[in-house]
Amino acid sequence: MWLDEADGFAEIFKGYLPFYLFVALPIFIIMSPVNPVAASHEFSVYRMQQYDLHTVPHGCRSASFNLEGRSLTSWSTSRHCVVARVQDITLEQFLEIRNKAGALLLVLPKNETLLTPEEREHIQLLEMAMVQQEINAPVYFARWTPEMEDILADLQHSFITDDKSGTALEAMFNTVSSNGYQIVVSAPTPQKLDSKPVTLHGKLIGRSGSAQTIVIAANYDSAALVPEISQGADCNASGAVALLELARIFSRIYSTAGGRGAPTLVFVLTSVGHSLNYFATKKWLEEQLDSSDASLLQDVSFVSCMECVSRGPVRMHVSRPPRAPSPAHSFRARLGAPLQHKKINLADELLAWHHERFSIRRMTAFTLSSLQSHKDSGRSTVLDTPSEDRIQNLVSNVARIARALASHIYNITDDENDEDAGLYDDVLNVDEAAIRYWYNYLSSQSRSAHIVTTSPNGGVTGALERVLSRYMEVTVSTHAVDKREPEYTLYSPTSATLYVYSVKPAVFDLILTLAIVCYLAVVYFAIQAFPRFYEEYAKIVTGKTKVQ
Amino acid sequence: MTLYHFGNCLALIYAPYHMAYKYSGISEYASFSKCVYAGGLYIFTQLCKMLLLATFFPDSDSSPVEGEYNVILEILKSTVDFADLLGIYFALNSVPGKGHAKILTSAIGWASAELVVTRTVLLWVGARGSEFDWRYVRSCAESNVALIQHAATATLVWLWTRSDLPKKHSPIVVSLLALTPYRALIEEAIGSIFHLCAWALVAVRAIHASAVGLSALATYAILAQQIGI
Repeated sequence: MWLDEADGFAEIFKGYLPFYLFVALPIFIIMSPVNPVAASHEFSVYRMQQYDLHTVPHGCRSASFNLEGRSLTSWSTSRHCVVARVQDITLEQFLEIRNKAGALLLVLPKNETLLTPEEREHIQLLEMAMVQQEINAPVYFARWTPEMEDILADLQHSFITDDKSGTALEAMFNTVSSNGYQIVVSAPTPQKLDSKPVTLHGKLIGRSGSAQTIVIAANYDSAALVPEISQGADCNASGAVALLELARIFSRIYSTAGGRGAPTLVFVLTSVGHSLNYFATKKWLEEQLDSSDASLLQDVSFVSCMECVSRGPVRMHVSRPPRAPSPAHSFRARLGAPLQHKKINLADELLAWHHERFSIRRMTAFTLSSLQSHKDSGRSTVLDTPSEDRIQNLVSNVARIARALASHIYNITDDENDEDAGLYDDVLNVDEAAIRYWYNYLSSQSRSAHIVTTSPNGGVTGALERVLSRYMEVTVSTHAVDKREPEYTLYSPTSATLYVYSVKPAVFDLILTLAIVCYLAVVYFAIQAFPRFYEEYAKIVTGKTKVQ
Repeated sequence: MTLYHFGNCLALIYAPYHMAYKYSGISEYASFSKCVYAGGLYIFTQLCKMLLLATFFPDSDSSPVEGEYNVILEILKSTVDFADLLGIYFALNSVPGKGHAKILTSAIGWASAELVVTRTVLLWVGARGSEFDWRYVRSCAESNVALIQHAATATLVWLWTRSDLPKKHSPIVVSLLALTPYRALIEEAIGSIFHLCAWALVAVRAIHASAVGLSALATYAILAQQIGI
């Protein structure tokens, strides 16, 4: 056997090992996987939305990257991925990153409710700025985790910079002590999603002989910057919940022939909101008005859209103030809401409010909303999360709207007696538990257009269809985007897995080699000096010199 | 990291062993095959230990209470490590030659086998990955300490087998031998009591190993002086 032939370790090294190594090493290297160890950090991250509106690109245009992580202050080139807390990054910094950095990873706040109003405002403004234009670098959002916090702190206090350090020794120490991070996201290249927006509508038929129709509409999607984390509690889960509750109340009243009011009530839930220009509403109106049997929307008294109705008392947003004898004026007087007037500007990229879609088709329409202005940054933010006081606002607003609507339908004047008022309260009683349930359900789901319009029969759409069909017969219309000139295009992927590898700079390996060589030299001399050490040691232990 | 980093770790882990073999003088005895034999014995001993542990001890991974540290069980498990001493004893018996050659050959063989079996795969998988971790460098340093530990253990076993060991020294040898299997346990206990970081734990191990090594060396020196080798 070769072991016996080899006269010691060294001979094996000289004689056999090199030949074995020549064969074995390449085989090992070929056999071993490219990336044999899993990263110690793995995060779910959510990509910033990407869409085209009338072929104008918006949002982030790429998905994969493999770059070195840097903090806001230490990044310099397109080979760096900037990692920052979303509340720390300023608009100027973002603009610079958009132009130069390789990628951006933003960490959401640990607890949204603990943010100061200034921070909220800042994040919302940042979101608006981000979605305005396209970004070629991938932008991802991650939820806060303790591990993420560690990485952020490490990157912030890292000494790895491209500036020269004070002394060579200092620089050397920095490379050894600091951690670098390689951040990798491998996601498929962005692909067009097959988006099929739907509109659900149902009607409660009024007394025969009356052709009047009142339309109540709301969209149920949310419009935050990040599709996977857009809960959209206020915009527009609140509007959809308000519509469901009104449908429940009036279906009860309309279920008996005696209680039925004169006008027919049409409830419309659309799956695409202001971020995509109320596309579903537009298509639905085209279908209803331009088809041969245009029976549903004849003689519309008014269209009441509801959007963001949980932030306080509602206002009525109109494009043309209603005149005195009109039904809309009567409804407003009964509702007692302040009027907010904004003309339609067709030159704008986006319509301001939902009712403008109806106003364009020459219907009297208004939007009920708690917001002051359509430019409110709270309409599309990831911070739009459910809260208890918003539920209370929503309940009181729904009660107010239901009362105003009922009093308009039955033309009840204020001078009624107490007995009537009691009956009235009983009939129009708002079911707070149902509102809470649906509000929490809807705002627990990500309902961005990227998600709700790509799964038309499942998820939120299916649930809403089922609940609405308890009160009335529901028709589901699915719309298609124009093939040649798409009104909008959505892109996947919306989420990915992010791997973070901690790495050291290349110089570190050289320094390590130096240290190991020094150490081995010490070991070598220790072994060489061992016999002498042993002699001295034996002398001390036994008290005599070794007998030779 | 890179293949270069792997090379670094490899140098740190294997070079001291190679130097210990080459420069301690045992290579003159042409005892490479004996080293391999000691290594084979190591592997056999570990298999026997695993068999014992698997047969008589509950599966620690599936214990119902997570995080609870069962001291008695751990001590009992460490007791199985007495098999190591038995293995070293057989290794010593199989090596011909003078005392120090016996000790060094079996210790180096034993420690190298441990190195190859327990650390090479870890290094191959870990230090070549794109992730950097001090753990691998630390594990290399630890294996150097293990060489001293095994040398000390082998010396103690050899001393224990000698019938001409002075009576007054035999209690020291026996007590040190009896403590050997609980070595890792004691070190870990010290680490957790003083909340030491991983590098400090390596230092503790090194100090412990050199203390045991020096006392074993002292006893060896006395015996050597007495019998005249």
